[in-house]
Amino acid sequence: MDGQLLEPTLYTVKGMAILDNDGNRILAKYYDKNIFPTSKEQKAFEKNLFNKTHRSNTEIIMLDGLTCVYRSNVDLYFYVMGSSHENELILMSVLNCLYDSVSQILRRNVEKRAVLDSLDIVMLAMDEICDGGIILDADAASVVQRVALRTDDIPLGEQTVAQVFQSAKEQLKWSLLK
Amino acid sequence: MNAFKRDKKEEEDGGGNPFQNLEKTTVLQEARTFNDTPVHPRKCSHILTKILYLINQGEVLGMTEATETFFAMTKLFQSRDVVLRRLVYLAIKELSSIAEDVIIVTSSLTKDMTGKEDLYRAAAIRALCTITDGAMLAAIERYMKQAIVDKSPAVSSAALVSSLHLSSVSADVARRWANEAQEALNSDNVMVQYHALGVLYQARKQDKHAVIKLVAKLIRYNPKSPYAGCLLIRMVCKLLENSNEGGELLDFIECCLRHKSEMVVYEAAHALVNLNRSGTREIAAAISVLQLFCGSPKPALRFAAVRTLNKVAMTHPAAVTGCNLDLENLITDPNRSIATLAITTLLKTGAESSVDR
Repeated sequence: MDGQLLEPTLYTVKGMAILDNDGNRILAKYYDKNIFPTSKEQKAFEKNLFNKTHRSNTEIIMLDGLTCVYRSNVDLYFYVMGSSHENELILMSVLNCLYDSVSQILRRNVEKRAVLDSLDIVMLAMDEICDGGIILDADAASVVQRVALRTDDIPLGEQTVAQVFQSAKEQLKWSLLK
Repeated sequence: MNAFKRDKKEEEDGGGNPFQNLEKTTVLQEARTFNDTPVHPRKCSHILTKILYLINQGEVLGMTEATETFFAMTKLFQSRDVVLRRLVYLAIKELSSIAEDVIIVTSSLTKDMTGKEDLYRAAAIRALCTITDGAMLAAIERYMKQAIVDKSPAVSSAALVSSLHLSSVSADVARRWANEAQEALNSDNVMVQYHALGVLYQARKQDKHAVIKLVAKLIRYNPKSPYAGCLLIRMVCKLLENSNEGGELLDFIECCLRHKSEMVVYEAAHALVNLNRSGTREIAAAISVLQLFCGSPKPALRFAAVRTLNKVAMTHPAAVTGCNLDLENLITDPNRSIATLAITTLLKTGAESSVDR
C-alpha cells in the first residue's frame, strides 16, 4: 500500500477559492505549482468544480485527484482543496475558518456584494489563513483579530460615507464610459 | 445584445461588480497616484486592491509594468495607515516573482519586522522572506532567530513558516534555526507548536536517529495541538515503515484513537490501516472507530471513514465485514461520492446473504 501513508509535511492546502453563483472567480489562490500551472487551467477546474457542486450541498467531493471541501451561502461558494490522500478533517477545519472569518468580517452578511465591498480585508484574511500551502491559522477569531485593523480609529459613520461616495463615483464613471 | 444582457444581469445583482470592467492599463496608470505627497491612504488602498484583484483574476503583468508598479508602491511606506501597509506587503509578495530589483524594500521591511506594532511585524516577516535570496539570508538571520522565539504567537508562527519556505533558497536554514524552533515547540499556542514541529522535522529528517529522539520525547506528552498531533502520527509512521522494532510507537498511534480531537482520531485510524506493520488487533481497533464515524452527521467525516474502509477492504475484507450494516445505510447517502465508495466497499466484503436487503 505504498503512497497511502502521508509524508510528514506542513504543506497541506493545495488551493482556496471563493466563487460567485455563476461559478466565476471572486478570489482564488493555488499553492502548488504542479497542479493547474496556468490561470486558464485553474479557471477550467473552477468551472468544473462549480458545476459539480452548486446544486448539492454535501460538503465534500473528489475531483481531478483533489479532495475539495466546500460550503455555500446565498450567492457565494467557498472551496478548500487538498491532495486526495490528505486528512479531510484538516481541510474541513481550514474551510470553516475561511467561512467564519469572512462571515465575521462582513458582520454575518455573507454575500457577493459585501465581499466585493470589503475585498481588501477578505484578501488579507485569506493570506492570514494559509501561507504558501501551510496552514498559518485555523481559528477564525484570531484571523479576524489580525485583519480587523483597529476600525475604531475611523468613525463608522465617516467610513460608510466614504465607501458610498467611492462606489457612486465608480458607477458614474462607468455609465459615462459605456 | 450581449452587452444588454450583461447590463440586465448586473442590475439584478444590485449594482454589479465594481471590479468587473477593470482595464489593466488604466489601473496601472492610476498607480501613479502613489507618488503624491502626502499619501491618501483610502484612495491608494482602493487602487492596490484593484491591482491585487487583477492579478488574482489571472491577468499577466509584464516585467516592466510590474517593476514600475513595485517602485511606485515603495512610496507608500511613508504612510502609517495599517490597512494600506498590509496591502503593500501583500502586493510585494505577489509582484516579487515578476518585478526586478525587489530587494530595495528590504530595509523598510526589516524596520517593520523589528518595530513595535505586532500587526506589522508578522506580516512584514512573511513579505521579507519572499524577497530574500541566498545572498541576503545572512543579513536577516539574526532577526529571524529572534522572531522565532518572540512571545507574540503571530510573529513566531510567521517566522517558522517563512523558514520552511526559505528551505528552497538555502537547504540548511531549518537546521541552523533548530535551537530556536526547539524553544518555540514549548509554546502554549497550538499553531506555534505545530509550525515548530514542522521546522524541527525538516531540520532532522535526513538523520534517522535525531528523528527517533525527537519522536520519543514528544510521544510521552502528546502535543496539545491537534495539527501537531496529526503531524507527529505521520512522523511515527515514517519511522515504523523502515524499522522492525518500535512496539512503543505502534502503541502510541493506538492510544491516539482515544484523542479528544476527531482530526487526530481519524489520522491515527488511517495510519493503522495503512501501516503494513499493524496486526489484527490494531486494525480491528481502527475499524471500530471508523465504523462510528460512518454514522456521523458530518458528511466529511462519513466520507473520510468510508474512503478508508474501502482501502482496508482490499487487503482485509474479513475485518470490514462487521461494518456492512453501516455501509448499507450509506448507499442512500445524499453525497454521491460517499454512496459510491460504500457500494464498492460492499462489493468486496458482502456475501450472498446481504444481497436481499
